Amino acid sequence: MKTLILTALLGIVSMLSEIFGFRKYLWTILVLGLTGVFCVNLSELTSAYQYFPNMVVFDHYAGVFSGLIILMALVWFFISKDQYDSNEFNQADHYSLIMFALTGTIVLVSFTHLAMLFLGIEILSIPMFILAGSRKHELSSNEASLKYFIMGAFASGILLFGIALLYGATGTFNIHEIALIASNNSGSVSILFYTGIFMVMIGLAFKVSAVPFHFWTPDVYEGSPLVITAFMATIVKTAAFAAFYRLFNTTFAPLIHQWGSTLSVIIIFTILTGNILAVYQTSVKRMLAYSGIAQAGYMLMTILLTTYESQNALILYTSSYALSTLCAFAVLHYVVKIKGSDTFESFSGLGKSHPLLAVIMVISMLSLAGIPPAVGFFAKFYLFSAVLQQGYLALVIVAVLGSLISVYYYFRVIISMYSGESETESIQLTVINKAVLVLIGCLIILLGVTPGLFIDAIKSLT
Amino acid sequence: MDQLVFLILSIISIGAALAVIFSKNPVYSVLFLILTFFSIAGHYVLLNAQFLFIVHIIVYAGAIMVLFLFVIMLLNLNKTNETSKSMLPKIAGAISGGLLLIVLLGAVKGLNQAEASQAVNADMGSVKNLGKILFSEYLLPFEVSSALFLSAMIGAVMLGKKNLKDH
Repeated sequence: MKTLILTALLGIVSMLSEIFGFRKYLWTILVLGLTGVFCVNLSELTSAYQYFPNMVVFDHYAGVFSGLIILMALVWFFISKDQYDSNEFNQADHYSLIMFALTGTIVLVSFTHLAMLFLGIEILSIPMFILAGSRKHELSSNEASLKYFIMGAFASGILLFGIALLYGATGTFNIHEIALIASNNSGSVSILFYTGIFMVMIGLAFKVSAVPFHFWTPDVYEGSPLVITAFMATIVKTAAFAAFYRLFNTTFAPLIHQWGSTLSVIIIFTILTGNILAVYQTSVKRMLAYSGIAQAGYMLMTILLTTYESQNALILYTSSYALSTLCAFAVLHYVVKIKGSDTFESFSGLGKSHPLLAVIMVISMLSLAGIPPAVGFFAKFYLFSAVLQQGYLALVIVAVLGSLISVYYYFRVIISMYSGESETESIQLTVINKAVLVLIGCLIILLGVTPGLFIDAIKSLT
Repeated sequence: MDQLVFLILSIISIGAALAVIFSKNPVYSVLFLILTFFSIAGHYVLLNAQFLFIVHIIVYAGAIMVLFLFVIMLLNLNKTNETSKSMLPKIAGAISGGLLLIVLLGAVKGLNQAEASQAVNADMGSVKNLGKILFSEYLLPFEVSSALFLSAMIGAVMLGKKNLKDH
């Protein structure tokens, strides 16, 4: 609760910075503020008192996810700093929108009431619609914003319709009460309930960009400013998955025999489509968009699991995906600054001219592909073995096949970095930026080498 | 009596909604949309949701649709310059929309009449009750929605004003 209030307050502070003229210090204030929110979030993990228990609950699940999101937001602030220092954008507006989007993510990881779910999705989406179009003079940015807005509004409408049907079937919005009704008469639930579940599933599948609701993703990711794309691909996706999992794995779990097969089909198509289309991309930004779609397929697999391991698998996988993708976007951000384009060719020679950036990119690509020393391998291994134990053999086969395809396009980046001539143009990174990159790189390796530490830490919390 | 009013309102709203889609002239579409909103507001009265009725008329029919009409007239969009689109998206849309209709019809048909009416408290939608519930049970969503409106407002200002670089 305090986390929620504090992030919203930081948003208001950013708004006021323009009026009271402390815009120069805004970045510092927000970074310090977010660090404070992170500490408050840690303290909230251990407190038993709940405010508005009917609406939100700050249990360990919410605590772990909001901690992860705030951590990523901090990293994002370090990566995007130079973009905003160059005065290309109105910094205060952007930062306040980002902070309000973070408020939305906190609502999404902690909701217990369907009205809060809808509000959370809207608070998260509306700043994203605007930020996607923040390069006002670029046609691609306008297109991204409009496409995202129209599709997103449509998906929200379907989600809302689903929520209304669920209310019609159960007479309550509270997810625990709905779960109780679902488990007490799992055989004889009104058919409105099922229709509602599927509509909610469609709305949320759009937000996590699962096939066949993924058509907006590549265009929106490509057209938006790069730092905003990084925000969308990591923080927004993590929050959407946290909401998806909480709703389906706790509330609708008793009825899994009804929606499980539909979700399996979505997962198979998501993994195959994402991985196969990523192979054909020439722009790394677009490749990362398709890779995000494919990875969403793996993360959706956790929702099918009914064992206690599913929560660990989700947390491990989302953190591995989000950290690696954030790293990749950070490097891409610098490469675009050097070369002015985001094709695979623009990475050539990076290994010689900027060894640090190249090593960080290698780590993140290895992690996304699921190759041992990085955390991605362990996340995939843990997830697949849990899914296999539940007896979804076909799903695991498709997932492994998808991972094999993904190695091709992730390694294309690595190969192009270490082949080709290095060019004279270069960029000087500040010490802080280097430190942040090295820190996440080490984190990815460390979590991969000693995954037991992380799992134990989560287990002790849950 | 109730049933008759309901039937008339339903026919008007469905007919007007169809007319929105099929009118060639955008201005007619907007006018039919206003009619649709009014007939839906009538349904709210039948359901005893007074607050929703007033808000629906003031916000949608009053403010938003007038704005719509202004934009269409100012941008001179009322010319019928419809480009011919391919049939494939139309067919795909008709099939998926039809499937959704079948699912919804099935869901409503399978519904037990007694089950449907049990949860409804006749006085639930009155202004007094709504006000009470908004400031007690629903206080948190009510306050959180302010973050939503603030961000929408900032967005409108941000997209409307000039970039710093342009000065």
